[in-house]
Amino acid sequence: MRVLGWLLWRLVLIFALPAVLVALWWQLSADSSHFLFRPLSEIWEAFRETWDRQRLVEDVLPSLNRLARGYALSLVLGIGLGVLVGSSRTLRSLLEPVLEFLRAIPPPVLIPLIALFAGLGDARRVVIIIAGCVWPILLNTVEGVRAVDEVLADTCRSYRIRGGRRLYHLVLRSASPQIMTGARQALAIGIILMVIGELQGTQDGIGHTIEQFQTSFQYAQMWSGVILLGLLGVALSLLFRLADQWVLRWYHGLRATEKER
Amino acid sequence: MHRRLAATLFSTALLVAVAGCGDDGGDGGDDQPTGPAGRDQVTVGLIPIVDVAPLFLGIEQGFFEDRNIDVTTDFAAGGAEIIPGVQSGTYDFGFSNVISLMLAQASGIELKVVANGNNSTGVDGEDFGSLMVPVDSPVQSAAELGDATIAINTLNNISDPVVRESVRKAGGDPAGIEFVGVPFPEMEAALANGDADAVFVVEPFQTIIRNNGVGRSVASSWVDAAPDLTVAAYFTSTAMIDENPDLVQRFTEAMTEALAFANENEEAVRNVITTYTDMQPQLASEITLPAWPPEINRASSERLAQLAIQDGLLAEPPDLDALYP
Amino acid sequence: MSERLHRLLLGLAGLAGFGLLLEALPRWGVVSDRYLPPTSRILGELFERARHRPLWDAVFNTLGTWAIGLVVAVAAAVVLGMVIGTVPLLRAFTASTIEFLRPIPSVAWISAAIVLYGPVKMGTLLIVVYAAFWQMLVQVLHGVADVDPVARDTARSYRLGPLARIRWVTLPTALPYLATGLRLAATVALILTVTGELFVGTPGLGADILRASSSGATAGVYALVVVTGLLGVAANLLFRTVERRALSWHPSVRTEVPA
Repeated sequence: MRVLGWLLWRLVLIFALPAVLVALWWQLSADSSHFLFRPLSEIWEAFRETWDRQRLVEDVLPSLNRLARGYALSLVLGIGLGVLVGSSRTLRSLLEPVLEFLRAIPPPVLIPLIALFAGLGDARRVVIIIAGCVWPILLNTVEGVRAVDEVLADTCRSYRIRGGRRLYHLVLRSASPQIMTGARQALAIGIILMVIGELQGTQDGIGHTIEQFQTSFQYAQMWSGVILLGLLGVALSLLFRLADQWVLRWYHGLRATEKER
Repeated sequence: MHRRLAATLFSTALLVAVAGCGDDGGDGGDDQPTGPAGRDQVTVGLIPIVDVAPLFLGIEQGFFEDRNIDVTTDFAAGGAEIIPGVQSGTYDFGFSNVISLMLAQASGIELKVVANGNNSTGVDGEDFGSLMVPVDSPVQSAAELGDATIAINTLNNISDPVVRESVRKAGGDPAGIEFVGVPFPEMEAALANGDADAVFVVEPFQTIIRNNGVGRSVASSWVDAAPDLTVAAYFTSTAMIDENPDLVQRFTEAMTEALAFANENEEAVRNVITTYTDMQPQLASEITLPAWPPEINRASSERLAQLAIQDGLLAEPPDLDALYP
Repeated sequence: MSERLHRLLLGLAGLAGFGLLLEALPRWGVVSDRYLPPTSRILGELFERARHRPLWDAVFNTLGTWAIGLVVAVAAAVVLGMVIGTVPLLRAFTASTIEFLRPIPSVAWISAAIVLYGPVKMGTLLIVVYAAFWQMLVQVLHGVADVDPVARDTARSYRLGPLARIRWVTLPTALPYLATGLRLAATVALILTVTGELFVGTPGLGADILRASSSGATAGVYALVVVTGLLGVAANLLFRTVERRALSWHPSVRTEVPA
């Protein structure tokens, strides 16, 4: 009985405010004749019509596919280079200003330049995603690798733990909380760049579809796309939270005990 | 220490914010602001391209000033921005291509064309836009592009039906064409890299592509679509016409005078283009200019609408009586 | 030589090497110089533009939009965050809504911003404020949540009013989080300001890049990109310094709050 009460209370907490907000939105927009702010009922209708199975396959899946590829490559590049740079003080000093400069350039600004090199297809869109995602991963990895605990490093040396094992158990493990921070930032950036990369020059994709609705003045459909994008962002965020819990399970446990002290 | 730091940051931010505020663009509003000596302030939404040279020429020559109008120009990325901008009052007048205007009317946006914008030169092979293929491509006529990947600036807009018509006129079947949306500056690379079999470009990119030896023209799609095609026009919202018909009338007169002047003074046009774009004078002297007849070619718009319906852009014929003056 | 001098020299060497690489690649024909002008040409274009007003107008416009967006977002986030963070019930009720709205990519608003406002500041500000607000809010909430319960109870037993409690207990604890949040929000805000200018057309560096690109002035595009990068670096340095000052007296070292 108590468990049921607790569950009910949790559900109320989660859905109460959103439900109120949606109801308010529905009411306030019901009589709207504004050309841009369509009634929520109309947007809902447009949502159901537009995002059917076919469009999910033709537009949403390719977008997610590009995001996945760009993100994965960013992880590989970012962590790989990050470990290299983070382990060598000379390399760090040498490359830091250049990297800081490159990462300060907003990726969308690079799009006209990327376009000159990467052609029209998927490659270009994946490059755009990498151009933005790699920096938080790279720089956070460098930070994480740099801050490996001296005592642990010495212990490894005395036990002659070297090479791949040292890399995995000492370096990557120590740096993983910091790397995950970078990975989380990169995910948010990746979603943004996935959309931006599709605003021009694609034939498919969520961002492309939203933009097409906007340029043909079909605003209810455009808003339905914005909502879909929001849902996607939430879903990916939840997925990341799960991954984070798993990868950093040792870290979260450690922090929990520290807090209790 | 923190308080001082915070205060410094805050006041710096405020200072910069105020400084940056000064260059704000158009300011929408129903009341027509009046400037010095009771002149009407109008904001026109434009794309910084060759087509709108007459407007700038008109400002330069004082045609608007003579009629008590102070024009502020605001650059936007395309019709998809300008049209809602006019609708919401951010702009008083706008410039967009004819198909965009028809599409807007079809979605219930209430606009009215007030003056002609620009036309095709009407001369095949010497127009301000053309269908181009790589210089070493085996394609010799548009008929062979029926299954091609063709890069256009905006999907589901004016380039679509006019390119298809070029293919049809040359004897081909456009059903298999695949259009990709590519911004004009990237079209040269698309041709050079083989990402597109053909591109539909307008000046200055047409000349740039030719000069760099990257591509050559196989069809003049504006010419193929309709004789002396009106490509774009200046428009306003019906609300504006209701509120201030006199201002609209004066604007139209000034614009018409500017168009006539542009048609007669090519040199002045080429000069003014370098003032509102980043185009180098050398390039500005080489490009092919559009034609600027003072009257809209309504017949060409009817033909264009037919093509648009045939190619699936429009569901039904537009109401040109409502849209055109 | 001293450690810092050593690092500085290495850093400069890195920059020089990078510049030389970009000079060599187009000159050796590895990349077409129409797509990647040599560094010398880019810098030449940059200095040429720096001598005329338009570049500085653009810089001021960008900074202005950025500053307004940041101030609005930070102010709203601090106020809202403090309120929500101090009242546990509020925090519980708003958690799901915040978690839902936060990951919505602000670029989803580009289309709406374009239609609503056209190429004026407001359109870009919509995007900037939306993104920067969430960055800051999250940090504020974590900062408030991290308040030492003992300190908070002590303040209550000394009957310190809510405002005094905020000033003496909450704010000092939350300050490092606020500083980090400020830096993150500022970074995001600058990126989205330029992005907004690029897509919505608001006057500024992004709009200039678009215009240069539309006219085929490739060296100009690169020059403006360099300016944008320099702005970003300057902003980053500024806020890192602020953050370090805020952290300098705090006993524990905090980094970005993960997840």
